[in-house]
Amino acid sequence: MHPIYGWVTGPLTWIAFVLFFGGLLYRLAQLLVLIRRKEPFIFSYMSFKYGLRSILHWLLPFGTVNWRLHPVMTIVTFAFHICLLAAPIFLMAHALLFEEAWGLGWPSLPDVVADGMTMVVMAGAVFFLVRRIVRPEVRFVTSTSDYLLLALVAAPFVTGFIAYHQLFAYRWMLVAHIVSGQVLLVAIPFTRLVHMLFAPLTRAYMGSEFGGVRHAVDW
Amino acid sequence: MAQSAKSEAKQIVDPGIEKGAAGLTEERIQAVIHRVLKGESGARLKVYVDTCVHCGLCSDACHYYLSHDKDPRYSPVAKVKQTLWEMIRRDGRVSVDFMRRAAEIAHTECNLCKRCAMYCPFGIDIAYLMLVVRRIVHLLGMTPQYIQDTAHSHAAVSNQMWVKPDEWPDTLQWQEEEARGEIPTLRIPLEKEGADIMYSVIGPEPKFQAQLIYQAAMIMDMAGVNWTMPATAGWDNSDMAMYTGDNEVMGRIKREHFETAARLRVRRIVMGECGHAFRSVYDVGNRWLGWRIPPIPIIHAIEFYHELLTSGKIRVAKKFQTPVTIHDPCNVVRGAGLHHMAREVAHAICEEVVEMYPNCEHNYCCCAGGGVINCGPPWKNKRIEGNRVKADQLADAKIRGAKVLIAPCHNCHSGLEDINHAYELGLDIKFFGDIIYEVMEKPGA
Amino acid sequence: MKPFVTVLLAVACGVLWSTTTLLAQEDMRTVPNDVFMAPQRPPAVFVHDEHNTAAGIDECNRCHHVYRDGQLVEDESSEDYRCSDCHAETDTDDGMPALMDAFHGNCKQCHLEKGKGPIMCGECHQRP
Repeated sequence: MHPIYGWVTGPLTWIAFVLFFGGLLYRLAQLLVLIRRKEPFIFSYMSFKYGLRSILHWLLPFGTVNWRLHPVMTIVTFAFHICLLAAPIFLMAHALLFEEAWGLGWPSLPDVVADGMTMVVMAGAVFFLVRRIVRPEVRFVTSTSDYLLLALVAAPFVTGFIAYHQLFAYRWMLVAHIVSGQVLLVAIPFTRLVHMLFAPLTRAYMGSEFGGVRHAVDW
Repeated sequence: MAQSAKSEAKQIVDPGIEKGAAGLTEERIQAVIHRVLKGESGARLKVYVDTCVHCGLCSDACHYYLSHDKDPRYSPVAKVKQTLWEMIRRDGRVSVDFMRRAAEIAHTECNLCKRCAMYCPFGIDIAYLMLVVRRIVHLLGMTPQYIQDTAHSHAAVSNQMWVKPDEWPDTLQWQEEEARGEIPTLRIPLEKEGADIMYSVIGPEPKFQAQLIYQAAMIMDMAGVNWTMPATAGWDNSDMAMYTGDNEVMGRIKREHFETAARLRVRRIVMGECGHAFRSVYDVGNRWLGWRIPPIPIIHAIEFYHELLTSGKIRVAKKFQTPVTIHDPCNVVRGAGLHHMAREVAHAICEEVVEMYPNCEHNYCCCAGGGVINCGPPWKNKRIEGNRVKADQLADAKIRGAKVLIAPCHNCHSGLEDINHAYELGLDIKFFGDIIYEVMEKPGA
Repeated sequence: MKPFVTVLLAVACGVLWSTTTLLAQEDMRTVPNDVFMAPQRPPAVFVHDEHNTAAGIDECNRCHHVYRDGQLVEDESSEDYRCSDCHAETDTDDGMPALMDAFHGNCKQCHLEKGKGPIMCGECHQRP
């Protein structure tokens, strides 16, 4: 197992992080160049104040009319996204690996909390899956890629959960966990998961248009 | 799914769409789609398409979706799926039939009201995406006949209604004469350079709603405003070319409008109660011409009436007694935040104001704007069916006492008339100007 | 009665002392983690003699090291101390690795260097 573990935690991890951060930077640069070249007016309408105002309203659970209109979806999507980000970053095992590799340490969550968060992510993924199938307005705009993206997001959590609890095939499950996490990281800049980067920008632009030009609220 | 949606939909034959479709080849369609998607469009299209996670949360924003018992084909994102997503996925290699359906969706199933932009958690601007589709439809020559006719009128005579150059001052003089029957000293000052205000209207006013010009002249005269109207082209602030994706003509007529105001050296342009015209001069046309904000301040009628009432330039003799409710037009409410002023004006001139819900920014669209009513008679029933939710909303306001519906926008006004009639609501629909004219003090009359 | 009690106590202490020390070496199955305030994982599996035989470790101070002023003292060893006697549970200012880091440093780092032995979390921290 030493060579495989060394390979996935060494070179593969480097590749994943370079592609993840590099990909995000590339997408951002590409966007800025495109705006500069074709729609430079976007820069002149962007407003820090109104953009942030809109983002904050939408970051607040039940802070907008549409969040209040879909209470279950709101609770699930907030819980899902918070856990999706917090569990991996503040997982003790992850923080430990970073500390061992680079001497960079940060506070981590108790394992039992991270475990609970992982279950929230998995439950959220199931909810989204069922919602895609059951709700006609969602099913109508769903394609295979939507299911694949959901699977891609869920995979590191499912494998991580199985590995953590050592339910079966521990070593292979851990390798699967690491690799699926890396695939997810690489997928973020190059799939619709790029909403991680773009959603705050599109929200800020709409917020700026509504605040600065339209003198109305967009929530 | 898109295919089955097409076959289920009632087939409406539009001569404009059919004429364009007749000469089309798939190569030509692909070339035009490439031109628009790869050439003209930029960051917004790319980011909106790449960011949308297909969650469907925009659905409840749309009056078409709600009115069709939540039929998924009418949700905002579904309209993008049935048009742009497919065009992008197939690299523009779509059939003539596909484009026929795309023209129908973009022109008759979306009012570009931007309510969905307030419901999408990411703030994706689906109205903009539908305008991109209309642009493609325009370049393919498939724009629905009636709205294309108004765009032709804009291009040929710089107004929406084929009003000839001599008919315009004639109409103004006719209304001046009529009004002088009431106020003998009243003038509609034409071509008065250096006036404070240029008053501009939309083409339909001189064409068949000339009494609105009469009322506006009375309000201006009673308020003692230093105003003028141009005798030349440039008087029409409306812009259907904006809604057909004919950006070149849109820009040309907006420039003519601003240049007319500049020639008259006025301080401000005050416009009548029209929503789309406001959008065209305040939001869209000015940007096309390179102005971040309009080069000459644009004041919508609601703002102007608010100013006249709060400054005491016009006084209310006796408030309007019948209970009213207010419709919030998308272009001046989601487009300019005038809903607060609209309420202040309503309360200043009316005894009782009944709110309809949802209201303000969240009001349901009239289903006429965005050029949909301008697609004409072939699409009228579809438009009315597509806004049952508005009828329910109005019926609720009526139950709570409202008898008069104030709609400070021409498109809303006409669309709501159709809703009012079809759903037998029995509301009396008025502009703010109608009521102000009725209740204001008219010294000298 | 009194002498009897004294003898009994002495014997008991002797047995207790010998069993604990003997257990610590010959019958050791895991690294006890009860010194941690809130241990997050099960104790790491570690069979002392078996490990040392397999790894060919004769010198106690290969693991039971002594550092003085940040320098490894070659000839001394510290098997009479508990790891936690020196390594605090949380980081300290003197540059001494915290207890968990010390364990990981002693076991995992050596396994990585040798290319042998468990290196994944669950390989040592096995669930019962």
